[in-house]
Amino acid sequence: MKIYNAKKEITCDRKIVVDDMILTTDMPTTAGSKMLDGYVSLFEAEVLTRAGNAGYGVIGKTSVGEFAIDLVGETAQDGALIEDGILKSATAEAIKSGDAICAITLDVNGSVRRSVAQNSLVSVKPTYGTVSRYGTIPVACSGETVSVVAKTATACRELLDVIAGHDDKDGTSLPETEIAKVSETKPVRRIALLTDMTKGVDEETSARLDAFSKKLTALGVEVVSVENSIIPVSRVAWNILMSAELCNNVSRYDGVKYGYRAQNFTNIDELYTNSRTEAFGELLKTAIIFGSETLSTENYMKVYDKALRVRRVIVEEFARLFADYDAVLTPACSMMAYPESVRADKYISYKENFYTAPASITGLPAVVAEGAQLIGKAFSENALLDLVALCEKEGK
Amino acid sequence: MKYETVIGLEVHVELATNSKIFCSCSAHSYGAQPNEHVCPACCGMPGMLPVVNKRVVDYGIKAGLMLGCDINRTTTFDKKSYYYPDLPAAYQTTQWFAPVAVNGLVEIETSKGKKGIRIKQIHMEEDAGKLVHDIREDTTHVDFNRTSVPLIEIVSQPDLSSAEEVEAYLERLKTLLRYARVAECEMAHGTMRCDVNLSVRPVGSNKLGVRTEMKNMNSIEAIKRAIEYETARHIDAVENGTEVLVQETRRWDDIKGKSYAMRTKETAGDYRYFPDPNVMPVVIDEAWFESMKNSLPEFPEVKRARYMQEYGLSEYDAEQLTKSIALCECFEGASAVCGSPKDATNWILSEIMNLLNLRQMTYDMLTVNGKSLGELILLVSNGKVGRANAKKVLSAMFDNPELSPEKYAEENGLIISNDTGLIDKVVKEIVASDPKSVADYKGGKEKALMALFGRCMKTLKGNCDPQVLRKILIDYIAKV
Amino acid sequence: MDRDTLRRLGMLNQLSLTDVQKEEIIAFFDERESEAKAELDVIDTSDVERMVHVMPVFTVVREDVASQPFTREALQAGAPETDEGYWCVPRVLE
Repeated sequence: MKIYNAKKEITCDRKIVVDDMILTTDMPTTAGSKMLDGYVSLFEAEVLTRAGNAGYGVIGKTSVGEFAIDLVGETAQDGALIEDGILKSATAEAIKSGDAICAITLDVNGSVRRSVAQNSLVSVKPTYGTVSRYGTIPVACSGETVSVVAKTATACRELLDVIAGHDDKDGTSLPETEIAKVSETKPVRRIALLTDMTKGVDEETSARLDAFSKKLTALGVEVVSVENSIIPVSRVAWNILMSAELCNNVSRYDGVKYGYRAQNFTNIDELYTNSRTEAFGELLKTAIIFGSETLSTENYMKVYDKALRVRRVIVEEFARLFADYDAVLTPACSMMAYPESVRADKYISYKENFYTAPASITGLPAVVAEGAQLIGKAFSENALLDLVALCEKEGK
Repeated sequence: MKYETVIGLEVHVELATNSKIFCSCSAHSYGAQPNEHVCPACCGMPGMLPVVNKRVVDYGIKAGLMLGCDINRTTTFDKKSYYYPDLPAAYQTTQWFAPVAVNGLVEIETSKGKKGIRIKQIHMEEDAGKLVHDIREDTTHVDFNRTSVPLIEIVSQPDLSSAEEVEAYLERLKTLLRYARVAECEMAHGTMRCDVNLSVRPVGSNKLGVRTEMKNMNSIEAIKRAIEYETARHIDAVENGTEVLVQETRRWDDIKGKSYAMRTKETAGDYRYFPDPNVMPVVIDEAWFESMKNSLPEFPEVKRARYMQEYGLSEYDAEQLTKSIALCECFEGASAVCGSPKDATNWILSEIMNLLNLRQMTYDMLTVNGKSLGELILLVSNGKVGRANAKKVLSAMFDNPELSPEKYAEENGLIISNDTGLIDKVVKEIVASDPKSVADYKGGKEKALMALFGRCMKTLKGNCDPQVLRKILIDYIAKV
Repeated sequence: MDRDTLRRLGMLNQLSLTDVQKEEIIAFFDERESEAKAELDVIDTSDVERMVHVMPVFTVVREDVASQPFTREALQAGAPETDEGYWCVPRVLE
């Protein structure tokens, strides 16, 4: 189990784990990177302070892939978690095993949502700006969100209620008056199943989606199949934005102030280059190079600015859908388990995030449950969780 | 052929705020211990998020208005990426797409008369850290105290054409920004720094020549020398083909009096600007804009003319007072309270100047408020406090700007007594103790009276109306 | 994308890339480029404003109050090299 144990004895009964993107002061935070091996933050994430005040105790940290942009954590510096030839996620395992009742994670590129779907857990990625990112390792700041994972919607909701709220220390944190909108929960009655978002999924995933859809219908929710060619474009635009922001955010790791420093260098450029080359993994390096190129003078308007405009097109497309529907239903991944062999494609997470990118690029809330994903209007996370809770009740 | 020099300046000015632009560390790096004013954010550690210091935007707006700019009502921040040890996050947050102010105009005056210098833009940004090269031979030491201290960069159009104009322009910027109280602008402290862009062209030509840039100039004298050197070098190159000019960054060596091409990397200048997702756009609404506009002072020359016309001051006095906005504010406040611009001027130009000198303070550091000074002047003119004691009160006002002069004088026994009984008693004693002076005075020596008067005043600790004392003294001597 | 551009991008980002990596990255770029052409370029965004922030929040500012809660010792505890309170790097030529 890839959990780093906390130093202090945890006696409370609300045991949680946090992933290695969330800064802790009593345990190292590595972002899954050799660059930050053993790095201990001087301050803790706002979400941990809030969870701690509400009686949650952190039993340890779960490993993540390097800067959390991979599939389910397989690029972590301490190696992939593989069982029976299947890629596993440390966070999901910690919840499944019952070691922790909840996990707090940073959803950068959907890896949390993928592993939650594959393990039949529940997760909520709340509306962007409702939960403070103070004390999280920055990667793709315009879309990444602190998320909660648990076995049930109710457990997710309880922890989310505690950690959500305005934070002066996060300049993108919404005012309380805005965040209060999450309590104006209107029940979800009509859902659009986006057929264009189901392409590429295997039979099992498709079956899970159908089963969930049927369950919702049985609860009296109307599920309508809807074609839409804009939402699926999210992935391509998100990959550009995420990589560019990542390139900029990880440029701070240079072997000077803290973290990994190469042994051999004769000048400052060698110190930088050797430290970064030795400490960063291949997926990260590719993401950096790609992100950098999207921001070059030559490409900025053509690539980066274009992606920013397409982001608005996508946001407006969601708004159009939400005029008729309370939420959209999509898969969260293409298969219900990743065989080790998928890693043959080093860049598979740049494709597999097809399913998670729409909520990432728009900042809309997404709840993953029963192997599928619901994306709602801004501030509708509680409504989505209520619906899932209702499903859970019916299932019993 | 005759040539003219074409110069554009990029002037970096450190804003006089308490805290840094995006974190709460102290912004006063001058004289601090290395890395004393540093936090995880400004030493490049992950997890802290930038929150804009409102005063930085206030000052950006004020600077823009002082320099005749249009203010962008929505202004945004962008990231600029490059690797250098003084830049801990390997990016600088600056303004690339929508700077706070654009299209300004600054009027300068030189021996050739008046001239307008156009301002292209003013943007707000964070400063870089400081590198120290002289502690160990093989090592550069890095200090992040200055990292994220707020700056504005004032970018001029290439409207300047001589060292004299550049000096006048820099002086004008300094005066206006100090007047608005947004910056110290002291090149010796590094709170004003300057990049000089220079090219030459034949007089009458519209085509700009090859431009070179000299970065981080930090004294006006060095700038003047560098401009003269570069101009000569450019003309020589164009005229005599001594070298091929290339667009490049050069370093000015003020000791050798030469400029050198700086070694540049292949990737130099590729900054990959993009909008900062962590900093929301700043919208300057009407109320904010108006409050900034209303807080601005008149220009120094406007004040000077008004002081002469409205207050009847001499040109010299008006000139002296308008050297600093702090003196102006003190003067205007004091005049309004005491009703005597002449007294206010005298107090400021003599006593206050003396105390500033004594305490090694610049004019701008004056904190005595005009209202209190006016009250003090009234106490003197109403005969409640003697002039010597008033100076003691003024000194206390330097230590505590909130101090009430009257209350302080009362509490410290500095109020003139109207108790003539006491004065009679003192006069009697002094006269009795010094028959020689009395005799001298009676013999026609006016000076002897002054000696007696002085001793009485000293015994009374100055707390007595000089006119009253004088009368009682003369009357008493006449009787004995 | 060609090898020389990649070398330059490596330099720009302080990364040294092996030939194998360069080939992989070139393939990665080709793929990104073709999907951008197929999916993004077909969307007309000429009248669309760029969207940096997904939430319409403006003017998030703080008051100008200074505080110093972290000590230099703590900040430099994990530093690879420090001296006399400074972080250290190989001499940077001026």
